[in-house]
Amino acid sequence: MTDDRTHRIAVRDLTLAYGQTRVLDALTLPIAPGKITVLAGPNGCGKSTLLRAIRRLLKGTAGQVLLDDVDIAKMSGKDLALKIGLLAQNPSAPGDMSVEELVRLGRYPHQTMMQPWSPRDAEAVERAMAGTGVAELRTRPISSLSGGQLQRVWIALVLAQETDVICLDEPVNHLDIAHQLECLDLVARLNREHGRTIVLVLHDLNLAARYADELVFVREGRIAARGTPTELMSASLIGEVFGVHATIITDPVHGSPVCIPASRSSAPKAAAEKVAEAV
Amino acid sequence: MTSIGASAPVSSFPRAPVVLVAMLGLFVLLSLCGVAFGSTWIPLEEVAKVIAGFGEKTQNLIVLQLRLPRVVAAILSGGAIAVAGYLLQKVTRNELASPGVLGVVDGAALGVVIFLAALSNESNALVTSIAFQPLAAAVGGLCAIALVFALAGNQATSAVRLLLFGIAVAAVAKALTMVMMLIGPIYRTTQAARWIAGAVNEVNWSEIQVTFVALVPLLAITLLIARRLPPADLDEVSAQSVGLNVPVARLLIFALAAALTAVGVAFVGGVGFIGLMAPHLARMLLGRGVHVGLIGSFLIGAMMLVAADLLVRVLFSPIEVPAGTVTAILGAPYFLYLLMRKQSYDG
Amino acid sequence: MKPRTAALAWPVSATYAGLAVVLVVVMAMSLTLGYRIYSLDQVYRALFAFDGTDTSVIIANLRLPRAVVAPMVGAALGIAGVLVQTLSRNRIASPDTLGLNAGASLFVVMASSVLGVSSLMGLSFAAALGALGAALLVFGIAATAGGLSPLRIVLIGVTFAGLGHSVVEVVLTTNEAQMQQLLFWLSGAFVDRPLALAANGAPFMIVGGLVALVLSRALDALQADDSTAASLGVPLFIVRGAAFLSVSLLTGASVAMAGPVGFVGLVVPHAARWLVGLRHSRQIVAAALIGAIYATAADVAARFVIYPIEAPVGAVTAVVGGAMLLILLKRRAA
Repeated sequence: MTDDRTHRIAVRDLTLAYGQTRVLDALTLPIAPGKITVLAGPNGCGKSTLLRAIRRLLKGTAGQVLLDDVDIAKMSGKDLALKIGLLAQNPSAPGDMSVEELVRLGRYPHQTMMQPWSPRDAEAVERAMAGTGVAELRTRPISSLSGGQLQRVWIALVLAQETDVICLDEPVNHLDIAHQLECLDLVARLNREHGRTIVLVLHDLNLAARYADELVFVREGRIAARGTPTELMSASLIGEVFGVHATIITDPVHGSPVCIPASRSSAPKAAAEKVAEAV
Repeated sequence: MTSIGASAPVSSFPRAPVVLVAMLGLFVLLSLCGVAFGSTWIPLEEVAKVIAGFGEKTQNLIVLQLRLPRVVAAILSGGAIAVAGYLLQKVTRNELASPGVLGVVDGAALGVVIFLAALSNESNALVTSIAFQPLAAAVGGLCAIALVFALAGNQATSAVRLLLFGIAVAAVAKALTMVMMLIGPIYRTTQAARWIAGAVNEVNWSEIQVTFVALVPLLAITLLIARRLPPADLDEVSAQSVGLNVPVARLLIFALAAALTAVGVAFVGGVGFIGLMAPHLARMLLGRGVHVGLIGSFLIGAMMLVAADLLVRVLFSPIEVPAGTVTAILGAPYFLYLLMRKQSYDG
Repeated sequence: MKPRTAALAWPVSATYAGLAVVLVVVMAMSLTLGYRIYSLDQVYRALFAFDGTDTSVIIANLRLPRAVVAPMVGAALGIAGVLVQTLSRNRIASPDTLGLNAGASLFVVMASSVLGVSSLMGLSFAAALGALGAALLVFGIAATAGGLSPLRIVLIGVTFAGLGHSVVEVVLTTNEAQMQQLLFWLSGAFVDRPLALAANGAPFMIVGGLVALVLSRALDALQADDSTAASLGVPLFIVRGAAFLSVSLLTGASVAMAGPVGFVGLVVPHAARWLVGLRHSRQIVAAALIGAIYATAADVAARFVIYPIEAPVGAVTAVVGGAMLLILLKRRAA
């Protein structure tokens, strides 16, 4: 596979606006190659927009996104599709499409007019389905799948695309806790075993802290902070970015930082401090 | 689905009676104009004279035999369809509902065509009284709307889905009407063809009599049950809990609306979109009061059809373009506007 | 209909072959069955050994054009239906429910009565233009209103179709001289269509069908949402534009040839998907074959439903299509 060549992505001074509203404001962010980068921030901060801009689904009004020092605005759509994959936030496809048919779509950028479907394509689809554990579901219509299974099928599609960089926009939305973990473990494995660069948008700070190599806080279209989860998960920073009082403790099992937000109404600050001491 | 209230002003409309009186004045004026305009202009005072019974002979003929029937027919039909639309919008809590889109009109057309085909003898004469034609239309219309709701089942709560069921039923009814028209001889084809377009120009006094006799009791019942209608604005559970027997009320109102539509279109034909627009305008001008809303809908619907008929007479004379095409051309963009404005009906 | 999945029980080519056989049978029925029933032998003589008898004249001049026009129109509308359903991601969309037929009819009437166009080619062109205009209008409205739901788009299309018909009615009633000729275009039937019409429409249909086939892989990806399709490298704007062009050519040519034959484009794609799955390269071929069979069979059925009078084929397809629409709505397919 493509373990040894990883593409470097850098966002430079990117400004992006919907009409008059500026969503990204001269944002600069290098993405660590071969690592898992998690974008987090309050609703409407621009993190999903940033992710979509990295894949050129949105175009900035100023600034660039560089892929190996080349402005992606200058690349062909197909070239880009071979290098960066993206799993959209609420992807959809016809309910009677079979799992295999859906995963096959991931090979779209690899095919040409002259060579429609090659054994390589078939292998990639098989690998993607095996890697996500959906091979035995291949003939099932996607409408018959559970939420967790469906999400794995969509990941299989992105995987079949065989891009070095994979962007996922809130992939664990609407999943129960077991499937959230299953899905993110899968993503982490892709990163570890295949050296893929992963860029994730996650809402749950604690999941973000557990899976991220690099955590990025986005706020009002700018990077508020970036660093390792341990560096970023501090009560003061979370208060600054999300506007909530929180207590940070260390997960006794995984060792990652855990954020316990205080309820705004009853704010039992003393109790929270007590918990912090106990841990 | 809870957002209908947002579309109409919430104030209690203290001006409603004034507006209603003004509307009545406009209605009378427009009706007189409807009689006055045409191939020859008859001054308004002459029109008044004829109606009061002091007119000259030629003017008597023109006014009483040619002009007045189509104006009266337009008033009764437009009003009846508008009231039916008001009831349907109320009970479905859906401002996109109207007799046309719920299949009532096409169902009624099918009823009439079957009636004409089944009850004519060899020489094309009806073996029964023409007075039964509205009844046939009512049965057809009622069957269509019943079919729409039976098929929609629990999907009937989604406005957009309900309308699509209506459209599908209407399409089938329309196709069957076409086939029925073909089976019959030419006489019945022309009789039935008037249906498709919706024209008031060929209605005669005996048909108006039938319409009038059927319409008065229906409107009376409507006004009587109007008192029970306000909770229909609420969702089903809330309406039940304030004491409206929702299933019974719904059934009654659908039957009433189907009957009103059927009578309205029995001789005039499918007049598009009046049942959609008139209730809206009534709500906008008069607020949510049920009685003023019903009376206002009737007046506005009547005015719309009289005006549409007047328009085709002035614009296209001497060719008789059906008034229904004018209401459709005006109504369709309005419907599109409603569709695009409201996002809350999706389902 | 129960959707089939990727694993088909038999090779697709067998399915195509089976459909082709059925098509030949239905076309043979179209030539032989009707008010009078002819033998295959008589048909053969009329077509290949013309002897000038009344029977031969009737078969060659009346039956043959219908047996050619009906499958062409059916195939074109079937493909157009597949494209429209994929473009709108909506299984109840079709050239008629989106108002494309009405747009084509309107332009034919306008071109004829306002511009005085009378050549078959000119009217075909007007029809294609009208279908394109309607498609752009409906999708434009949907886009500017900010991602309307599929159901809402269909309602807009249906309303627009009603509006188009009203305008057509006005034009027809004010232009009595041309009414006869125009009613011929608008009746939605395969009766009395000269073979020259088929020859004129064929290039439009072939180009439209080929464009659809070329696009088939991009259309596969377009079945998923826009973000997914774009991130797979599908040039959305170009693909959509080309697909619209293809739909307009196909619908316009069909309307020009046979008038608005309702609901063919709604019914056929469902049958195609059921037989060969969702891959467009297969769906398009299957839809063309099934559409051809369906339209020809409906044309034959129309001769018998109210025998001895002939029903308009549009009425037959409308009843079937309306029922199909009800079933689809009932099963929440849309």
